[in-house]
Amino acid sequence: MISPLKTLTGAAAIALAASAVTADIKVGFIGSMSSDTGLSTLRGAEIAIEELNAAGGVLGGQKIELVTADTREDVTEGVKAYEYLAESEEVDFIISGSIDDVSLGWLPRMIEYQIPTLDTWTSYIGIIDMVVENPDDMKPYFMNIASDEALATLYINFGADVLKAQMGFESVVILAEDTAFGQAITGLVTEALAPVAGIEVKDTIIYDINTVDFAPLFSKAQESGADFIYQVSSVNSQVISSQYVKLQVPMAMTGVNVSALGLEYWEDTGGAGGGISTLSPIPSVGFELDPASQAFVDTYQAKYTSRPVMPHFNGFNAYQGLKQAFAAAEEAGGFKDVNGWNAAMSKQDLKLMKDDKLWLRYGFWDRDTVEPVTNRTYPQNALFDLEAPYDFAQPSMVVIQWKEDGNVGVVYPPEYATTDFTLPSWVPAK
Amino acid sequence: MLQIIIQGLLLSGLYALIAVGFTLIFSVGRVLNLAYGAYLMLGGYAFFYVSQTLGMPKLLGVVAAVAVGVIAGLMKHRFIVKPLKGDMVPVEIATLILAVVLQSAVVLMFGDSSKILHSIIPGVVQVGTVSVPYSNVFAMIVSWTVLIALYLFIRKTHLGRAMQAVSMDQKGAAISGVNPDHVNMMVWGISGGLGALGGVFFASYTQLYPAMWVAPLIIAVAVVIVGGIGSIIGTLIVAHIIGFMEVMTTSLIAPELRGVFTMALIIIVLVVSPKGLFGREEIH
Amino acid sequence: MTSNLNLRHAIYWALFAGLLFAMPYLVSKGDLRTMIFALYVGIFAMSWDFLSGRTGYISFGHPFLIGIGAYATAILSYRFDVPVMFSIPLAVIITMVASTMFILPALRIKGSYFALVTLAFMELMYQLVQVIRPDLTGGTRGISGVETITRGAVNGFYLAAFLAFCVALFLWLLTRTRLGAAQSAIGMDEEALKGSGINATKLKLFTFVVSAAVAGLGGAFYVHYLGSIAPRAIFDINFVFTIIVAALLGGAGTITGPLFGAFFLTFLLEYLRPWLPGAERYLIYGGVALVLYMYQPKGMYAIAAKLRAGVMK
Repeated sequence: MISPLKTLTGAAAIALAASAVTADIKVGFIGSMSSDTGLSTLRGAEIAIEELNAAGGVLGGQKIELVTADTREDVTEGVKAYEYLAESEEVDFIISGSIDDVSLGWLPRMIEYQIPTLDTWTSYIGIIDMVVENPDDMKPYFMNIASDEALATLYINFGADVLKAQMGFESVVILAEDTAFGQAITGLVTEALAPVAGIEVKDTIIYDINTVDFAPLFSKAQESGADFIYQVSSVNSQVISSQYVKLQVPMAMTGVNVSALGLEYWEDTGGAGGGISTLSPIPSVGFELDPASQAFVDTYQAKYTSRPVMPHFNGFNAYQGLKQAFAAAEEAGGFKDVNGWNAAMSKQDLKLMKDDKLWLRYGFWDRDTVEPVTNRTYPQNALFDLEAPYDFAQPSMVVIQWKEDGNVGVVYPPEYATTDFTLPSWVPAK
Repeated sequence: MLQIIIQGLLLSGLYALIAVGFTLIFSVGRVLNLAYGAYLMLGGYAFFYVSQTLGMPKLLGVVAAVAVGVIAGLMKHRFIVKPLKGDMVPVEIATLILAVVLQSAVVLMFGDSSKILHSIIPGVVQVGTVSVPYSNVFAMIVSWTVLIALYLFIRKTHLGRAMQAVSMDQKGAAISGVNPDHVNMMVWGISGGLGALGGVFFASYTQLYPAMWVAPLIIAVAVVIVGGIGSIIGTLIVAHIIGFMEVMTTSLIAPELRGVFTMALIIIVLVVSPKGLFGREEIH
Repeated sequence: MTSNLNLRHAIYWALFAGLLFAMPYLVSKGDLRTMIFALYVGIFAMSWDFLSGRTGYISFGHPFLIGIGAYATAILSYRFDVPVMFSIPLAVIITMVASTMFILPALRIKGSYFALVTLAFMELMYQLVQVIRPDLTGGTRGISGVETITRGAVNGFYLAAFLAFCVALFLWLLTRTRLGAAQSAIGMDEEALKGSGINATKLKLFTFVVSAAVAGLGGAFYVHYLGSIAPRAIFDINFVFTIIVAALLGGAGTITGPLFGAFFLTFLLEYLRPWLPGAERYLIYGGVALVLYMYQPKGMYAIAAKLRAGVMK
């Protein structure tokens, strides 16, 4: 038996040994350390750092040390966490798994400190708008997930190709949460569904995110006479989806349901999640992976046994994004020269192939290129493609569906699909 | 119309069950128990652990939840209320701190992600165009049963009368041979059990998550402000006013204003009748 | 302001001011940042203490006052380009007016019932900010990019320290007046006040509005320090927790005690970070607060007094 004292001295010795290898480059993680989302980014970064260190270090053989700052998904804690990383730890680079309002909370601090920062989870287009409007202040900022506007735009094609063409749905009722996210997505979808997809919007129902009972809302949706429900939910998403299943609402429902993006969804809902479909950033659950991404997942699963058992999309973003940030730093001679780093980061371009086809691409839009479908620019935002055959980059999103037996697969776009979109068993076909 | 009646009754039953334990402790213990929502959280997680993680029968899960709630209530009485001598303000503050501590404990044990409970009784019946899950009907029946039983208990039993006496006057009760400390302990236990039971049903309506103690606390606060302190029948009636108002707001006016309407009701009642619609200080 | 002001007090306050002035030369920038948060929490806790610590009217919804001030100046400066030097005073006035509108009906209730109602008001503000005019408030995401008054830890510290010092001195002086003595009598016995010829209702109104003005002022400067505002960051029960526990751990009714309580709580949480980066941090933080509070509900002031008495013996 080992005495507690011995264990303690042992631990101290290890700690000493660890600090003896002086870390020259510090990376800060900002995000929640108890949510699946936050942990995905954290672990993606950890793996990337391990690999970089194992390959001989960075910037002339220096080792990278990771410092964490928990935000608990609290806005004020996020500001404190950013300050801690910047002033107490003096990190060189920050990787973030923050949600929308937490990122917005610390952005003024990033502008002040000018520390290169990569966001991997929030997809808020408003932040990209800030890059457009204040390019100098926002030089250190990159977001390597397609912004929500791009996600919603591609969803319209799903409406036309699958909901209308395959399912025969002619009309929709929108059931959206009363949040900034909900309003943004609802606005885009409402404007585009009728003219682009030929689906009539019968009614738009905005609900309070603390709603306890969704039965009256579903009744209202049914009364609208629409063929299906388009739900937009980023907060408490499991409540609406589980009540949809428990109430067996006799109407198809699809849309955005943030809770269904992780593999734990089935376990967390105790199986009351079957039939739910949602758009998802890439790579999603049920998404076929290219060999490079699969290797990352294998490493991940060998290293971590606790949830999330499979990294969420932002885990992949953090893994690739961190490596790209260091590649850019090599080119710019470190992170201190923000202009140089920004220029080098903007040029990063990683193409991952699967069966000789471009499968995933990690790169960024430049200042001037106008995306042809949405007709706007997305500087410092992840590259995406809104038109088949997706030979420029991956689509901005895929639609996934949880089947009633607990399987999950991609149902749209067809180039990436692994299964067909189906109606839940209790919903009558049209 | 039928839809509003059915959905209103179901939701109101749930609200009454959530609020009654809070009213009880407010009336007898004279304490605003801000950790009341934590009973619901503990109850919900206990049910989840027993019935979903361990896979035991659901009834056992409910029993475990109530037991955890009762124990939590008794412990709170023993370790917080008694050392602080039932002094109102310190107890209120200490319970607030306790609620925050319990929330962190739940994050540590179960993680941050929300979880969904299985229906206690699976299945749905269609009444006209309205889907009515059996579970929700069951929740309403339990709620009514508990409230009526509690009402009779307070009115008809010796212990209940003792509770009444304590809620009116601690010292007077002591003189007439009732041990207020004993009664208080019982009330903390009962309140904990009721809260945990409410938590099982609240969580099976919505979800389990570490911050889930706040939302039901707000519901209970609303019911108590509008109804006034101390009335069990008042709690039942006001739960129905709030429940029906919510369903009607959602169905007929604008669903996003659900919470605002409830809060507006609070302000109106406050201006018109500051003691609440059925307000009396003592329990009845 | 009468004879109960003496040289000893003046020396204490001068020492306090000197300490604040010297602070940036004594501690690291990281600690200075933590102190800025502590100072703002201290301002809020003093505002809470002036109302609740002294009168017994417990406010569980203090962030709703802070939030009105913070949102008022954020909206004025961000949406309407009102210069900060006007938007902050306006925000304070708006907070005072709004608090009067709240307190008039709420004056009729007392005890735990008052606490309940303040909690409900905070919740109402949380809902309203998201639903009513999200084009102004920024809805659930709030507003990012509000003009910041200072840059850098040292400047931010001096501004916050100056504010906290002024608020503390102002409230302390108020409590030394006849009004202050009468005010703390509300907590003990409202009936007794009637005999003294002071109008209890007016006094309560005065106390509440002063508390609101301080909360609004603190909230307004706070948002111009943070540079962003979101409903979840303000109208939150965890924020209530921080404010009240800071005030009580420091010593309710003592005005400066809450400032020290705020320092203790903020540094406790921040210094746990390197050792317990994850969720355990909040468990320890809450646990320490609970144990300390159960041990001495009168706070550090009482503990310090006890220690001093022990040394004197």
